[in-house]
Amino acid sequence: MSTPARKRLMRDFKRLQQDPPAGISGAPQDNNIMLWNAVIFGPDDTPWDGGTFKLTLQFMEDYPNKPPTVRFVSRMFHPNIYADGSICLDILQNQWSPIYDVAAILTSIQSLLCDPNPNSPANSEAARMFSENKREYNRRVREIVEQSWTAD
Amino acid sequence: MQNHEESGASCEFEDWGNFGDEDIMNQQSEIRAEEAQKVPFVADKFQKRCGAVPEPLSALASEYQSGSPILLEKIKMLGEQYAAIRRTRGDGNCFFRSFMFSYLEYILESQDRAEVDRVKANVEECRKTLQSLGYADFTFEDFFALIVVTIIFSKFVIDLSLASELAFLGSYSLGSWKAFFKEMNPPLGVEISQYLTMVSEFINLNASFCIHILSPDTFGWSVVMFFRFVASGEIRKRSEFFEPFVLGLTNATVEQFCKSSVEPMGEESDHVHITALSDALSVPIRVVYLDRSSCDTAGVSVNHHDFIPSGNLPKAASGSTEVISPFITLLYRPGHYDILYPK
Repeated sequence: MSTPARKRLMRDFKRLQQDPPAGISGAPQDNNIMLWNAVIFGPDDTPWDGGTFKLTLQFMEDYPNKPPTVRFVSRMFHPNIYADGSICLDILQNQWSPIYDVAAILTSIQSLLCDPNPNSPANSEAARMFSENKREYNRRVREIVEQSWTAD
Repeated sequence: MQNHEESGASCEFEDWGNFGDEDIMNQQSEIRAEEAQKVPFVADKFQKRCGAVPEPLSALASEYQSGSPILLEKIKMLGEQYAAIRRTRGDGNCFFRSFMFSYLEYILESQDRAEVDRVKANVEECRKTLQSLGYADFTFEDFFALIVVTIIFSKFVIDLSLASELAFLGSYSLGSWKAFFKEMNPPLGVEISQYLTMVSEFINLNASFCIHILSPDTFGWSVVMFFRFVASGEIRKRSEFFEPFVLGLTNATVEQFCKSSVEPMGEESDHVHITALSDALSVPIRVVYLDRSSCDTAGVSVNHHDFIPSGNLPKAASGSTEVISPFITLLYRPGHYDILYPK
């Protein structure tokens, strides 16, 4: 069945295919345009470099009036990412606007990787380490990057 | 706390994790939604619904019975000029919703076909603004298409009522309506049946028609979003003009302000939003302020501010000295806008 949300998601997909931002890929699952798989590559020249992090995006029929639920499937170590993979990012919560499409969401998450907001920690250990012990923090990030290659 | 063993610390952090930002934000938005739902999106003037009707101004007075005497005095003064107030839901979108409702009522009551054409042209301009600012078409085109159809539809309704064919509306068959809307090429996501309902609502009363457009089951959210896009586009387009005003509200840049305070749903409106919307669509708006300020020694008076767009106004041509009267009057109480009806 075709609904406004589905029609909009088709256009999101088209844009992502025609004009993909660097280091990002995403596509709806074969039989369900409301559920997407995505991969974010860790930005070059950062501790995240080389990581391939998998996410899912679950859309509801109220998209784009409401944001999708975005979760990392890959294990993460980041001040703004919860243990269950959900992400603390303003545009996915109270700062959402239909102006963001899937490409913009994934780009924002990608830049969140290197530019965490330690003031709203979802993982306090990572947040503390990020501000107090950058060296150890970077080591933990490298671990996560390596894990991202072997995970299913 | 920092000396805890790894296991103990992580356990404690687990608990903290359970009360993350997300939960706090969710709780906050739940409380807000619950409070907001006590008032309908736009209160029906003619039916009692959720206890919120357009009440005569005396209803407003009773709200402040035990409150500030300045406010009571001001409400009394308002009563000399205004007949009624229509409440809107306080969910952060009240300005945009009040605007749409009031503006539709204005169009339908004035039966001003030229105004419909004018606003249509302005909407087209806003679309070009967003395109030139680099917004991706598909993120806003549905919202624009919806408004254009609503505007065309209003004109059609005016035509029919001008021709005193209102009764004829009711006898129009379902098939003819479908053909009509097909011709109008409704935007994606707008079901013809929604328009059919609007038509039947209109047959009853203009107000019901407006309420229907703003109901969340129809496209109330999209309407609000449309105005947010328009306001944001206008602010960005004239960022030099708006910058000092934005700086007066927050220390964000114009760009940040648009992203955080204009485009997201539920962000409250301020004079910057009103100026932008009024300018972009060339619709003059009066805002009457009901607060505790008492301006001068001469005693209490009710302040108002007229947002008169700088652009081309329909009546400006006929005489430059002519005072432009606002199409829309809103009552502002700190944090909230409702609609006022002049006598």
